[in-house]
Parts: sequence; C-alpha cells; structure tokens
Amino acid sequence: MLSIKNLHASIDDKAILKGLNLEMKAGEVHAIMGPNGSGKSTLASVLAGKEDYEVTEGEVLYHGKDMLDMAPEERAGEGLFLAFQYPVEIPGVSMVNFMRASLNSIREYRKQEPLSAGQFLKLMREKKEIVNLDDKLLKRAVNEGFSGGEKKRNEIFQMAMLEPSLVLMDETDSGLDIDALRIVSDAVNQFRSKDNAFLVITHYQRLLEYIVPDFVHVLSEGKIVRSGGKELALELEEKGYDWLKEGVGA
Amino acid sequence: MQSTKTKEFIQQFQPQTLPTSLPNEVRELAMSALNILELPTTKWEEWKYSNLRPILKHQFQPANHAEIDNLAAYLIPDFEANVLVFVNGVYSKSLSQIGELEDTVSVTLLSELEGETAAVFSDYYGKITSPEGQIFSALNTAYAAEGVFIHAKGVVERPIHLLHIQHATAAQSVQMRNLFLVEKHAKVKVLESFHSSNDTPSFRNAVTEIFVKENAGLEYVKLQEEGEAGMMVDQTEISQASDSRVKTYTLSMGGNWIRNNLHFHLKGPNTESVLNGLYMLKDNQHVDNHSLVHHFAPNSYSNELYKGILGGKSTAAFRGKIHVHQPAQKTNAYQSNRNILLTDTASVNTKPQLEIYADDVKCSHGATTGRIEEEALFYLRARGVPMEEAQQLLIHAFGAETLDGITMDAVVGYIDQLITARFAGITD
Repeated sequence: MLSIKNLHASIDDKAILKGLNLEMKAGEVHAIMGPNGSGKSTLASVLAGKEDYEVTEGEVLYHGKDMLDMAPEERAGEGLFLAFQYPVEIPGVSMVNFMRASLNSIREYRKQEPLSAGQFLKLMREKKEIVNLDDKLLKRAVNEGFSGGEKKRNEIFQMAMLEPSLVLMDETDSGLDIDALRIVSDAVNQFRSKDNAFLVITHYQRLLEYIVPDFVHVLSEGKIVRSGGKELALELEEKGYDWLKEGVGA
Repeated sequence: MQSTKTKEFIQQFQPQTLPTSLPNEVRELAMSALNILELPTTKWEEWKYSNLRPILKHQFQPANHAEIDNLAAYLIPDFEANVLVFVNGVYSKSLSQIGELEDTVSVTLLSELEGETAAVFSDYYGKITSPEGQIFSALNTAYAAEGVFIHAKGVVERPIHLLHIQHATAAQSVQMRNLFLVEKHAKVKVLESFHSSNDTPSFRNAVTEIFVKENAGLEYVKLQEEGEAGMMVDQTEISQASDSRVKTYTLSMGGNWIRNNLHFHLKGPNTESVLNGLYMLKDNQHVDNHSLVHHFAPNSYSNELYKGILGGKSTAAFRGKIHVHQPAQKTNAYQSNRNILLTDTASVNTKPQLEIYADDVKCSHGATTGRIEEEALFYLRARGVPMEEAQQLLIHAFGAETLDGITMDAVVGYIDQLITARFAGITD
C-alpha cells in the first residue's frame, strides 16, 4: 500500500529525514517511535503534503502512485488521512460545513455523487457516537473551544467519516487522559480492517497497549534504526532511547 | 484664493435647474462655502491615502434619466422590502416596488417635499456638519437634486431598500442626499445598495444625515457594489439621542475608488452603536474608510469592526477615531480593523485612534494585517478540500463576521454569497 524509499526531507535547508525506508501492506499497523527531534512529525507532515518541507531525495508510492507529486487534497482523495498532533482551530467555519466540504470533495475526487443533506446528517449522527462526540461540539466552529482531548476525538471522528485507507496518527495520544485514550483506541480498532493500514507515530509505548501494532520501527536522526514486532516497544519503554543510541553506536 | 483646479472641478457639477423643494438658506450657505473650500490633497492628513486623481481625470456630466429593463439582476432574492429605484440618480416610479406603506413611516422624495413634511424636513436638513470631507458635502448640499426623506414615527416592520443603479454611456455624476428621521421609540431598517450596469466612469457624491431620537432604533446596511469605474464619496452623519440603538454596515464589494466618511454623534446617554465594515478588493480598487465616533454623554457603548480582504493591486485605508469627551464617563468603546492580504501587491494602511478626556472609561483599539492562515488552509486541504475552495471557506469565515447583527435575513444570505464568490477563480 505504502512504499517509502530513501526519503530525504528538509525544512529551511535543515535536513530532518535522511534516507527513510518503510513498506506497509493493507491490514497492517505500524508504529513509529523515537525520541524528540528524530523526525517523527516531519514524516507525518511530508506524507500529508505540507509545503513547508522540501523533499530532496527519494520516493513515496501510495497504491503504486507517486504521492510526492500530489497536492494534499489529492492525497486525501486517494485515501490518506492525517490525524493531526495539533488540530487547527478555524473560527467562522462550522463543523458541519467543514465536514460536508471535506466529504463531498473527497467523493467528487473519487467520482462519487455528493451526499444529500439528509444522508450527510445521518452519517454525522452515526459516526459521532463512535467517539462519543458531544452534539454541542458539532455545532461549533472547527475545533474552536474544544479541549485537547475533544480535539483528538474530533480527529478520529473525521477519520470515521472519511473512511481512509491509510491513517497517519501523529502523536494522537499526547494530551489524552486514560478514558479518552480508550475511546480513541476503540474507534481505531473498530475501524481496522484487512483493507486499511495505520501508521501510528508516538513517543510513548502507552498507546500501543491499546492499538496493538504488527510492526514497531524506531526512528532516530531521520532514519529507521531498528524494526521489530510489538515487543520492541516494551523494550524501548524499559530501557529508554539512550540504550538504542548506544546499540547503534556499538 | 481658490485654485483654478478646484473651481473647474466644482463647475462641472453645476446643474441647470435646482429643485425648489429644498430649503434655500441651507443651499446658499453651501454655495458660498464652495467659493472658498479647496479640494483636499494627499498632503492633508485626513486624505493621505485618498488621492483624488482618478476622479479629477474625468469630466462628468450631470446624470440623465434612463430606464433599465433588467431590474431583477439588482434585486435581492426573497427580500421583502419597499424598494425605491433610482437610475442615474433619478427616481423611477415604474421600477420601484412600494406596496402599502405602513402608517408608521413616510418616505418622500426630496423633489416632492411639501407642506408639513417639508417643514419637518427643514428642521433637520443640513443640521449635522463635520469638517471632514467638507467640500464634498458642500457640493452635495449645493447641487443635490434628489434623494429620500425617511420619517419613521413608530415601529416599521418592512425594510426599505434604496436601490441605485448607474446606467450611462458617458462619464456622469450623481449627487444624492438622504435624510432619515427616526422618532422616539420608532424602529426602521434600511438597505441602500449601489450598482452599475456597465463600466462607464461615474462619480457619486452622497450625503446622508440621520437623526435617531430617544429609545429609537436603526439598522442601516450600505452595500457598495458598483462597477469597475464607479467612484464614490459617501458622507454619513448620525446623531443619536439617549437610549437609542444604531447599527451600520458599510460593505464595499465593488467600485473603483471609494471614500466613506462615517460619523457618529452620540449626544444622549445609554446609546448603543455598532459600526461594521467589510471591503473585499481586487485589481486596482481603492477603498478608504474614515470613521469618527463622538461620545458626548455617559454610559454609552460603541463597537466598531472593519475587516478587509485585498487581492490584486488593491489598496485600502482605515482610519477610525473614538473621541470620548469629558462628560462621557462609563463609556465602553471598542474598535478593531483586521485585514488579509492575498497578494504581495495589495496594501492597507490602518490607523485606529483614541482620544479620551473622561477618566472612567473602557476603550480598546487594534489593527492586524496578515495572510490567509497557512495552518488552517493545510488542515482543510489535508481533509480533501481543494485549494481554491479552502481559501473561499476561510475568506468567508473571516468576512462574514462583519454581518453579525443584521436582522434582514435575505440581505445576509445575499451578501454571504457575494463574499464566497468574490474571489472565486483567484489562486495566487
């Protein structure tokens, strides 16, 4: 589904990703862990198409198509979804209008008919239950006045609405209390299928107790320095990232 | 000695006949003022950003009567209002749509003033003056031939729509004059909209005097939607008596060169005033909004919010002044001007000002100028919304806030669409 080869990316001429390789197949959950500054969030931003980053080398194929050539909205149309680490507040744009614009843009990209107002509202009602999102929030502007946890649940609500095939979760666990973490994880697990894949970016192992990965990769200084099964996350938790640096150096 | 340039400028507006229905002494005063006043230049502080060159390069003919056959193009869909249509500044009886006027209001053309109505009119006409824009208001007072006297005596349910259309083949000028008198406890809503049928240069010099008496209310929306060669100087003077409420909305969505002078005179205590404005400019458009709020009496509230979105090589200026006089204790006065520049070639000059002589007041002012927020744009695009639509959503979200408080739903709906469509097809 996703094939990243020798990816190099920089911001303001500072190299952040320095030759990253990753292969993901449908049905898989991959976790990317790593210390602060290792390039985790940069990877998410580059994959989603944020223009602040310049890709200097390498390729990213998504369903066999060159993804780096696509605008962010095209990537979303192709089925990519980024759950933001810091969801943006957009005063003046209501959640309903935002979701309708989003869903219908993606449907149009896929040459599907737009949903009728009735179908759309029904879908909203159905999906908000999954993450236990309050009606009052859906009547507000996008993320405006949402608590940290509400913002994260809102991201997962949007994921459920758009049904992407590849989900990037950028530190979704940060700022979540244990209840919210459970709600978010349950929603993700419910949505997991043999047809979609998840790339879970996290600093801590905690989230991976709830969203159990098939593979864990450790990112350090812009490269994946170690890959393994879910037990690698536990090892990291126990020994910290310093252990790894020593390991690499040795 | 008055300069030749000013003399020549004034001369072109001299009409062949003047209406006999307007008070003579007011006109004569204005005419003698016209013999000494000078045209402002950009060296004048108040006119620093309003260079008159675009107006001075034309020779304007006084407007001529004309008819149009596509009125529907200018009407606001589903807006239930009494509509007075003026083509080239001349009232068109056949195009106007006036149903049964409620007995709480009288609407009289200035050319048809007579009897008791004329007497009431004379008591108020030309009574508020401001030094700013004096030559233009004097010009208007001297030469205006038509306009509307709205006299609200009670609660007026049906809004009044003054609809102006420029429809000319040669450069022409229109001097329009309005007077609104809202009596004690009366309430009225007015939409005044300005349009052109083509891009023939036009110069509109408008003056509106408004008196809102004790505990009365006015909602006044000015929609400037003229064509690419429409030039306009608008002077609006509002006097508020105690416990009155006034909301004004100055929305500049078209036109080539606009100068708006909006002055509030808050004479009684416990008044509320909302001054909202929106300008969405393209190409070489220029809009300069000058507002002045005089707080003369205690316990009053004024809130001003002007927003601008500028593309192309457009230019805008905002200068707002809140003047709190010594007796006006417990004044709450707020002012904000916020701008988004869509291009590197657009520019805005903004100058909010406070002048406070009372010691127990709450006042604030501020101005910002920035770009469309990149983070919000990326968020929308990451959710599949194409660039242009995402920009439009954000522009609409930014601009539509200035419509808050308009209770004429059809007007809000119409302007909402104008805001969304204004920059359609523009991606920079």
